[in-house]
Amino acid sequence: MKGNIKKDKQYWRSFAQLHNSPEYFKFERSEFPQPAGDQDEPVSRRRFLGLMAASMAFPGLAACRKPVEKIVPYVKPPEDMVPGKPVYYATTMPFGVFSYGLLVKTLDGRPVKIEGNDKHPSSLGAANCFMQAEILNLYDPDRSAKVYQKGAEKQRAEFINEWQSLYGRFRQSGGEGLAVLSEPFSSPTLFRLTTEFDKVFPRAEWYVYEPVSDENIYRGIRTATNGDYYPVYFFDRADVVLSLDSDFLHMEAENIVNAKKFVAKRTLDSPKDRLNRLYSVESVYSVTGANADHRLRLQSRVIGCFALALARELTRQGLQLNINPEFFKVDADFDQTWLKAVAGDLLKNRGRGIVIAGRRQPPAVHALVYLINDALGNTGQTIEFKPVQQVRLPDREKLIKLKKDIESGKINSLIILGGNPVYDAPADLDFHSLLANLDLSIHTAPYFDETSQNCIWHIPQAHFLEFWGDARAIDGAFSVIQPLIEPLYNGYSPVEFLNLIVTGRDLKGYEIVRDTWKGIITDTDFEAAWERVLHDGFYADKKAKQNKPVIQSKAVEASLEANPLKRNKTSTKNPEIIFRASPSVYDGRYANNGWLQELPQPVSKLTWDNAAEMSPQTAERLNVKNGDMVWLEHNGTSVRLPVWIVPGHADNSVSLCLGYGRKSAGRIADNTGADVYPLRTLKSPDFTAEVAISKARERISLACTQDHGSMEGRPLVREADLTDYIHEPGFAREMVEHPPLRNLWKEHKYDKGYQWGMVIDLNKCIGCNACVIACQSENNIPVVGKKQVANGREMHWIRIDRYFSGDTENPGVVYQPVMCQHCENAPCEQVCPVAATVHNEEGLNLMTYNRCVGTRYCSNNCPYKVRRFNFFNYHKKMPETVKMAQNPDVTVRSRGVMEKCTFCLQRINTAKRKAKMENRPLTDAEVKTACQQSCPADAITFGNILDPDSRAAKLYQHHRAYALLGELNVRPRLLYLAKVRNPNPELQETNHNVHDI
Amino acid sequence: MSHTEYNKNIIEPPLIQNNPTFGSITGDVSGLVEARTPMPWYLLLALSGSLALLMFGMIGYLVYEGVGIWGLNVPVGWGWAIINFVFWVGIGHAGTLISAILFLLRQKWRTSINRFAEGMTLFAVICALIFPGIHVGRIWVVYWLLPYPNQMSMWPNFRSPLVWDIFAVATYFLVSAMFWYMGLIPDMATLRDRAKTRAKKIIYGFLAIGWRGGNRQWKHYEMAYLLLAGLSTPLVLSVHSVVSTDFATSVLPGWHTTIFPPYFVAGAVFSGFAMVTTLAIIVRKIFKIEHIITMNHLDKMAKIMLATGMMVGYAYSVEFFMAWYSGNEYEIFTFVNRALGPYAWGYWIMISCNVFVPQLFWFKKFRKSIPVLFVASILINIGMWFERFVIVVSSLSRDFLPSSWDYYKPTIFDIGTFIGSFGLFLTLFLLFVRFLPIIAMSEVKGVLPQADPHRHSQHK
Repeated sequence: MKGNIKKDKQYWRSFAQLHNSPEYFKFERSEFPQPAGDQDEPVSRRRFLGLMAASMAFPGLAACRKPVEKIVPYVKPPEDMVPGKPVYYATTMPFGVFSYGLLVKTLDGRPVKIEGNDKHPSSLGAANCFMQAEILNLYDPDRSAKVYQKGAEKQRAEFINEWQSLYGRFRQSGGEGLAVLSEPFSSPTLFRLTTEFDKVFPRAEWYVYEPVSDENIYRGIRTATNGDYYPVYFFDRADVVLSLDSDFLHMEAENIVNAKKFVAKRTLDSPKDRLNRLYSVESVYSVTGANADHRLRLQSRVIGCFALALARELTRQGLQLNINPEFFKVDADFDQTWLKAVAGDLLKNRGRGIVIAGRRQPPAVHALVYLINDALGNTGQTIEFKPVQQVRLPDREKLIKLKKDIESGKINSLIILGGNPVYDAPADLDFHSLLANLDLSIHTAPYFDETSQNCIWHIPQAHFLEFWGDARAIDGAFSVIQPLIEPLYNGYSPVEFLNLIVTGRDLKGYEIVRDTWKGIITDTDFEAAWERVLHDGFYADKKAKQNKPVIQSKAVEASLEANPLKRNKTSTKNPEIIFRASPSVYDGRYANNGWLQELPQPVSKLTWDNAAEMSPQTAERLNVKNGDMVWLEHNGTSVRLPVWIVPGHADNSVSLCLGYGRKSAGRIADNTGADVYPLRTLKSPDFTAEVAISKARERISLACTQDHGSMEGRPLVREADLTDYIHEPGFAREMVEHPPLRNLWKEHKYDKGYQWGMVIDLNKCIGCNACVIACQSENNIPVVGKKQVANGREMHWIRIDRYFSGDTENPGVVYQPVMCQHCENAPCEQVCPVAATVHNEEGLNLMTYNRCVGTRYCSNNCPYKVRRFNFFNYHKKMPETVKMAQNPDVTVRSRGVMEKCTFCLQRINTAKRKAKMENRPLTDAEVKTACQQSCPADAITFGNILDPDSRAAKLYQHHRAYALLGELNVRPRLLYLAKVRNPNPELQETNHNVHDI
Repeated sequence: MSHTEYNKNIIEPPLIQNNPTFGSITGDVSGLVEARTPMPWYLLLALSGSLALLMFGMIGYLVYEGVGIWGLNVPVGWGWAIINFVFWVGIGHAGTLISAILFLLRQKWRTSINRFAEGMTLFAVICALIFPGIHVGRIWVVYWLLPYPNQMSMWPNFRSPLVWDIFAVATYFLVSAMFWYMGLIPDMATLRDRAKTRAKKIIYGFLAIGWRGGNRQWKHYEMAYLLLAGLSTPLVLSVHSVVSTDFATSVLPGWHTTIFPPYFVAGAVFSGFAMVTTLAIIVRKIFKIEHIITMNHLDKMAKIMLATGMMVGYAYSVEFFMAWYSGNEYEIFTFVNRALGPYAWGYWIMISCNVFVPQLFWFKKFRKSIPVLFVASILINIGMWFERFVIVVSSLSRDFLPSSWDYYKPTIFDIGTFIGSFGLFLTLFLLFVRFLPIIAMSEVKGVLPQADPHRHSQHK
C-alpha cells in the first residue's frame, strides 16, 4: 500500500487517545432533568391536534391568499389539498440584521423541514445548521405560552389594556423616561414602525444590542468610509484569500454564500483547472482554518499587529498605501517567510485577492484591512460595499448611556424587544440590577427566560414560522416572512407587538406588513405582485442605491492613531481569553435545541458542553488534561469550566463558546455547559488578556464523538498538493495496491433500471455540519443526550470525520463525511441472521426495521461503522409537540433495531412515483438527498450512475474518484473525490513537512 | 535398572485406589445421594441460587429497558454477552470430549470423571444458550432466527454464522444431554433398587426406564453408547468451530482469520479441562472420593491442559505472524494494538494465564500438587474468558476507520449478569451432585481389576 502522496505527511492521534484515557461517566450530569409531563406542557396533545387541524387552513393561503384567523377544523377540506402530499412555502428567517430565504415543507398544515430558497441571495438553495434546526425551535414545548406580570399569569387583553392606558401618558410626554432595547434587524415593516415610534415618542430612546454581531465590522467601515455599509465578498473572483481571524465559511455573516462562492474556486475537473489559495491567520481552530492551504496560529490580540506587519511588508514589496509608514512599525517577529509569501501572493493577484478580517477583530483592524484591499485594487472587484437600508445596527457602546440613564432615573420604563440581556449583555452593565430600578419593564421573548423573569411584564414571542414579517437581504432584496402555522403558544409577532407599542392598537401582522409593502411594491397590480412575492419569497430591490464608498486613508490613519493596535508580541506570555459564538447554540438562542446541542463542533467534535479550548502546549503549562475544570477570572468574576485541548489552537489563548449554562431556557438548555457571559465586558467583548487561569480540583466527562484524530497512516482521506496532483492526477486510485478483487458468490450485475450512486468531493466539503442536521431533520433521527453520546451511541446517520495531519502544534485538518456506503457486496447483509438488511434492485442497501432482531452483527461487520443502534427507545420521552416535527415519510425506529442512511429512499420513491404518474423516466436533478440539498459547498452529488449524462455518473469516472476501503471488495456505491490543497511553493518548507508528534 | 523396576515405572497405578469392591463403589457413590443433606450444601445452594436470581433479575430489567443498560456502543456492538456465550460454550467442551472421544480412544481413566464432566457440560451449555438469546435488541422476536414455517414466508439467512450457531449449539446440547442420560440409566436403576422411600423409588424408577441389568440390555446399552460416542465426537469439534465462524467469516481485522476453528476448539478443550479440574478437586475433597478421582486423574488432566495450552499459545503466535506476513496494515495494526493498545492489560492477562501458567505442568511436582492445580485451573479459565474478551472487544473497538474508534466499558448489568450465570451454573451443579450419582458407578466398576476376567493372568 502506498502512503499518501506526500510521504512526509503524518497523521496523528488526539490527546485523549494518546494517553488512551477512557471517558469516565462518573460526573455526568443528567441532561434531561425530569421530563415534564403532559400537564406541564404549554400545549397539550389535545390542544395541539386541534391546532393542527386548524392550521390545515393555512395551505388555503396558497389558494385564496386570505389569512385565516379562526381556529375551526375542516368540515369541507379545500379541493386542492391532498393529505400526505407536501406543500412548500417560501418564507424568510431573520437572523440579526441578516436573513435567509427558506423553503419550508409542510405536510397537512404542519411545517416539517426547512430548506434553502434557491432564489434568495443569502441562501441560494442551501441551508446551514441553524436554519434547519429552527424547525425544532418551532415545536419546542418549553417556549413561553403565557403573558406574565410579575410572575403571575395574565391574559393578553390585560396587557393590552395596561399598555393602552400607559400609551396616552407616554404620548403626552413624548415618551419621556421611555426606552426600547431591541435586537438589530433589517426589516421594512419594523423599520417603518421605528420611524413612527420616533415620531410618536420623540423623547424616547432606542438601543440596539446583540451579543454576537458584526458591530466591529460596521464601525470599521464607518471609520474608513464614513458611511454604513455591508461588505460583500466575491470569493468566486478571488485567487488569493487571506483571512485574519475570520470564519467566513462557517460562523460569520453570509456564510452560505461565502462557502458556495469559495468552493467555486476549489472545483477541480482537470489538472488544468486553477485553485484559489486560502491563508488563514487565527487563534481558534475554525472551519475556515481547516480549509486553509496555509494556517498561521496567532492569538487574537496580535492579529491586528499582524495586519500592520502585513501592511509594512506590502509597502516594502512596492504597494502604495497612503498612510504614514510610522503606523506600520511593529516590533513583532512574525514568520517572515510567511509574511513575504502572503504579501507576494496578494501583490501578484491584484484585483483578484481578498483580505478579510473577522468580527472578533477591533474596528481599526477592519479599517486597515479595507484600506489594504483598496490599495490592492480588490475593492469593486472582489469586495463590494452595499449600503445598509431599513436597518437598526447594533451599538453596544451606547448601552453605557442606557445604564447611566436608568441609574439616574432618567429612564424608568424599558421595553425589551427580543434578546435576553440579563443573560447575554456585557457583565459590567449588570443588567439584572438595572431592571430593578425600573418602574416598567416589558420583555417579549420566545422563552420565559432570564430576562423575562426579572421584568415586570413578559409577553411570549412567536416563532418566525408563525408570524407575518419581512426582511431585507444584504443586497437590498426584500423578502416576506409568512406564517406556515398558527402560533402554537399564543406568541406575539415582533411586528404586531411593536405596532401595539407605537400605535396602541392591536392589529394583525398581516395587515401591518401589507401596509408596508404597499410602499415597496411599485407594480400597478399590487395583489398580483404580492402573490408573486409570497410564492418566490422575495422581491428584488428595484431602487437599489449604487453609491460606491471611498476608503479614506486619512480616516484610517486617524483610527490607528486613536486605537493603537498592540505593536509587539511581548505581551503574549500571559493567556488571553476569546469569546466566540458556539457553532452549536450560537449566542445561546439555540440552547434548548437538542439537534444543535448534540451536533459535534466541527473541530473539537464536542457535544453538549462548552469548554475552555486551548492548545496542547498551554494545557501542558497549566498542567491540565481534557475534562479538568479550570477557573477563569476576569473583571472580578470567576467562571469554572472544563478544559478541552484543541491541537492547532494558538498558544496562551483560551477560547470560550458563548451560549451555554442557561438558567431558564428549557429542559435541554438549563445547566448544560457553563455560562461565560459573566466574563465578557463592554471593554473587551471579543478577547481580553486580563485573565487569571487556575486549575480547579474537579473533573467532568465531556461527550466527544471522535476520540481519535489520527488516520494512522491509512489511505482514508486521500490528499495531494496541487503540483503533485498535476503531475499525477490519478493519485487517489493508485494509492492502494491490492490483489484482484473476486467474489465468492455469483455477482449481481446491477445493469438495469436506476442504479443509485453518490460522490462526495472532499475538495469542496468544508466540514460545516449542515448535512448532519439536514439528515437529522429528514430522517427523524433522535437526540440521545450527553451520556449516550459519551458512551458512543450518537445516532447521526451521517458523520463528518475529522482527522489531523502534520505536527501537534500546527496540524492541518481534513474532513470526510461518512454515511452508509451502500456496498454492492455488503458485509452487513451477509451476516444478518434474519435477512433484515438486504439489497434492492437499484443497488441500495435496505434496512427492514420490522424484521430486525437487533443482533448488531451487521454493525460489527460494517467496515465504516455507519450503522446506528437503538439501544433504548429514544422516542419514548419525546414531547408531543416535537413529534410533530417528525417526517411522516420516514419510519420512527423503536428500541432494539438497527438503522442507517438510506440515501433518502423516501425522496427517491416520491420522485419515482411522480415520474411514473407522468409516464416518463426520472431526470437527473429530480432526486436530491437531504444532505446534498442542504450542502452549502455542493460537495455531494447523487444520481443514477447508469445514466451516462447524470452528474453522478460523470463524477464516478472522475480521475480523483476513489472508494473508501475499496480494497475490501465491498464495492461501495459512494465514491470520494480526493482532496487537493494548493500550498504556496515558497512556503512548502515551513508548512507540511513536520514529521513527528 | 532392573526389569521389574522398569515395569513399575511404565505400568499404570491402579485407576481406583484402596482396592474397592463392586459393593463399596456402589455404596460410596450412592451414599452421596442417599445420605442426609449436609448443611454446607444448603448454604451453597442459597448463595448460588441468589446469584442465579440476580441474573434473572438483570435479564428482566434488560427486557424492560433495552440492551442500552449494558456498556455496548458503536463500534463495540458485542460485549460481555457474546464473550460469556463463547466462554460457557468452551467450558461445555470437556464433558463430551471426556465421555465420547476418550471413550473411543479407550482411555479408561475417564470413567471417574466423565459423569460430572458431562453434567458440567450441560449446565455450561445452558448458561451459554441464555446469552445469545438475551443479547438481541428485540428479545421477543428472537425466535425469528429459527427456521420455522411462518406467515411471512421468511427463512432465516443461512449465510449468517449466527444461524449456524443455533444449529451447532442446539445439536450439541441435545446430543450431550442424550449421551449423559444414556450413561445415567444403569446408575438410576441402582439408586432405584436402593431407594428406601416410595417417592424415590418412583422417580428413580421412572428415570431408569425399566433397566434390569440383563445381558441383552447391557449389550444394547453398550452399542448405543458406542454409537452416541461416535455421533458426539464430530460435534465436539464442530460446535466451537462453528462458533468461531461468527468471527472468522467477518471482514473485521482480528476476526477474519482461518485459524479460528482449530484454535477455538483447542481453547475450548483447554478451558473445559480447567473447569473439570476445578470441580473435581472440590468434589473429591468434599465427598471424600479421593480414591475414585485420584491424583493420577488430575495428573492426566494437567497434561491435557499443558498440551491444549501450548496449542492455544501457538495460535496466538501464528496470528501475529500471519498479520505481519499478510502485509495488511489493518491486520498488523490490530495485533500490535492488542498487545500495546488500550486493551493491552486484557491481552497480557490472557497470555499470562493461558500460555505461562500451563508451563508449570511440565513438572510432575506441580501436576501432583492440589493447590497448584486448583489455582492454575482457575487462572486458566480467567485467561480463557479474557481470550474471548480480547478477540471480541479489542478487534471491534479499533477497526478500519479511526474516527469511529471508541473504548468499551461494561456496566454493573454486564457484570451482574455474568456473575449470575455462575450462580445458575452452580445451582444446577449442586442439584446434580445432590440427586444424581456424580460418578458413573457401572463404568468405574468396569475398570476395576475385578472386572477383568484375566486379572490373575501374568500375560498382560
